[in-house]
Amino acid sequence: MRGNGRIKRTLLGYIVFCIAILIVPIFISDAYLLNKFARYLVFGLLSVALSLSWGYAGILNLGQAVSFGLGSYCMAMALKLRTIPIQTGAGGLPDFMVWNNVQTLPWFWEPFHSYAFALFAGIAVPVAVAFLIGWFIFRARVSGVYVAIITLAMLVVINLLIIDQQRFTGGFNGITDLTTFELFGVQFDAYSTALYYLAAIILSLTLLLGFAFINSKTGLILQAIRDDETRVWYFGYDVANYQNFIFCVSAAVAGVAGMLYTLVMEFASPTFLAVPISLSIVIWCAVGGRASLVGAALGAIVVTGVQGSLSDTQAFLDTWMLIMGALFIVIVLFLPNGLISMLELIWRKKRPLQGSASARLVASRASRTGQATGHRAVSSR
Amino acid sequence: MTNEPIIELHDVAVEFSGFKAVSGLNLSVAKGELRCLIGPNGAGKTTALDVICGKVRARSGQVLLKGQDITRLSEYRIARRGIGRKFQVPSIFREMTVRDNLEVGYCKHLGVFSNAIRFRRAERDGLEKLAALVGLDDVMDEPAGYLSHGQTQWLEIALLLAQNSEVILLDEPTAGMTAQETMHTAKIFNSLKGRHTIVVVEHDMAFVREISDVITVMHQGKVLAEGCAADVQNDARVREAYLGSGGIAHA
Repeated sequence: MRGNGRIKRTLLGYIVFCIAILIVPIFISDAYLLNKFARYLVFGLLSVALSLSWGYAGILNLGQAVSFGLGSYCMAMALKLRTIPIQTGAGGLPDFMVWNNVQTLPWFWEPFHSYAFALFAGIAVPVAVAFLIGWFIFRARVSGVYVAIITLAMLVVINLLIIDQQRFTGGFNGITDLTTFELFGVQFDAYSTALYYLAAIILSLTLLLGFAFINSKTGLILQAIRDDETRVWYFGYDVANYQNFIFCVSAAVAGVAGMLYTLVMEFASPTFLAVPISLSIVIWCAVGGRASLVGAALGAIVVTGVQGSLSDTQAFLDTWMLIMGALFIVIVLFLPNGLISMLELIWRKKRPLQGSASARLVASRASRTGQATGHRAVSSR
Repeated sequence: MTNEPIIELHDVAVEFSGFKAVSGLNLSVAKGELRCLIGPNGAGKTTALDVICGKVRARSGQVLLKGQDITRLSEYRIARRGIGRKFQVPSIFREMTVRDNLEVGYCKHLGVFSNAIRFRRAERDGLEKLAALVGLDDVMDEPAGYLSHGQTQWLEIALLLAQNSEVILLDEPTAGMTAQETMHTAKIFNSLKGRHTIVVVEHDMAFVREISDVITVMHQGKVLAEGCAADVQNDARVREAYLGSGGIAHA
């Protein structure tokens, strides 16, 4: 079965990618570099989150950073409560609350004394927010560019809210000076190999689970919704349910990425849920290939990697933005399906039999219709 | 064949910002029947289908499916009760393969969670047979966007067969097909009689004569005449309605 062949081939690609990111620490022992790579992996995870909703269901969520930021804050709150404040001593209020004349720990901070709760909240809070917004958007059958506008607006509102509530959130400064995360006796220091592995394993698991998911019937129906939303309603599927489901799954993945990001960066900041990062995710997805989870992850890693090394190099200090911009234009123009589509192209070239599928199609069409007049060949754009 | 009606429209009116697309429409289709709706442009044929499948809302009147009121149900609930619809504009899933298209059409299970752990290729045999019926079996793994116009129409018919609704509403299923393809389509429809109730909006009179039991002629949002092909063609009012468009034979 050729259909099965393609699935196996793609799965192989996913596995190669996972192995590649998992063996990186064998070759690199520099703590600073590992931290940087862990950061790229987190961006990769974030990009996978958008690929799920945008690439597979056509929901362009420009507010993806909301989920990311909320996850990040949940983790930061838990770590902050375990940091011993200088002013008040053990068990006292976090430092920024003291500066803001807060007398007692706010009720919603209390449960974050527990790691288990924080880890749960890091997923549940973004999902709850996404569910609520998704419920309104998709029940009202909003689609296309309007989804992008609404989610972007939501991002700005939540960002302002967090900055404004300085007493509880640390405002502009975010939540800084955090203790090291510890789970099952393992210390996940920002510059440790352990943290790199944590990020790599989570990204790998997400990719493989995501791959299974997009090949399920739900994944198939979501792709149908992407292609022609109205048609899917008439099969009896509740399209809004499907859309909200993937919207929430995407939020959960972004929430996990946010939690990891706090560990990698050692702080949480309102810039994590600001417009620039939200738009960057779209660029990563577009560059890597939005309709491929591994492509999206690769896109994030390549873009942030190139960005990082260019801006670190003396020679490109002034021009790196220009170079990045040119790179995007080239990729979008010549590889509209992203970097990952290059692999498919190479595969097609190596296997001419596979490539002749369209030729067979033309032949069968000609034989069936006799004369081709009056037929409008439908191209795939 | 039983004569018990499966779809009934009672005095249905539809308005688009003041324009009466359909008014006082009464229609009754028996179970297992193949009904053709014809009429000059703007007669309200497509609107009649739209109001049955829930795409547009009736301003007044009632739509009954097996005696149950479905006038106010949303389209996916109507679909779940057993009405499938093919639109005039081909709407298939272009970026997906023909096989995947059919699997979406095979909608026995609708829940998002249960489908998340249901993997495809379980109902492969049935879908292959279906594809063979409409002659798409050798392009199963091609993206649907690559299909010719006629093949696209057939894929849509196959989608409806995969959906396996009791009632199938088709809006111009042979538009853009060659005479040969049209006859093949007629053959498929004839084989579906009895198992499905089919309502077809068509302009191609040759096709209509080939497949229909009963023809309903619509004009200005109402039913003008109803009967077999010969009756309808000899009806004076029908001839009058078609004047200016060259008579019914050329419609």
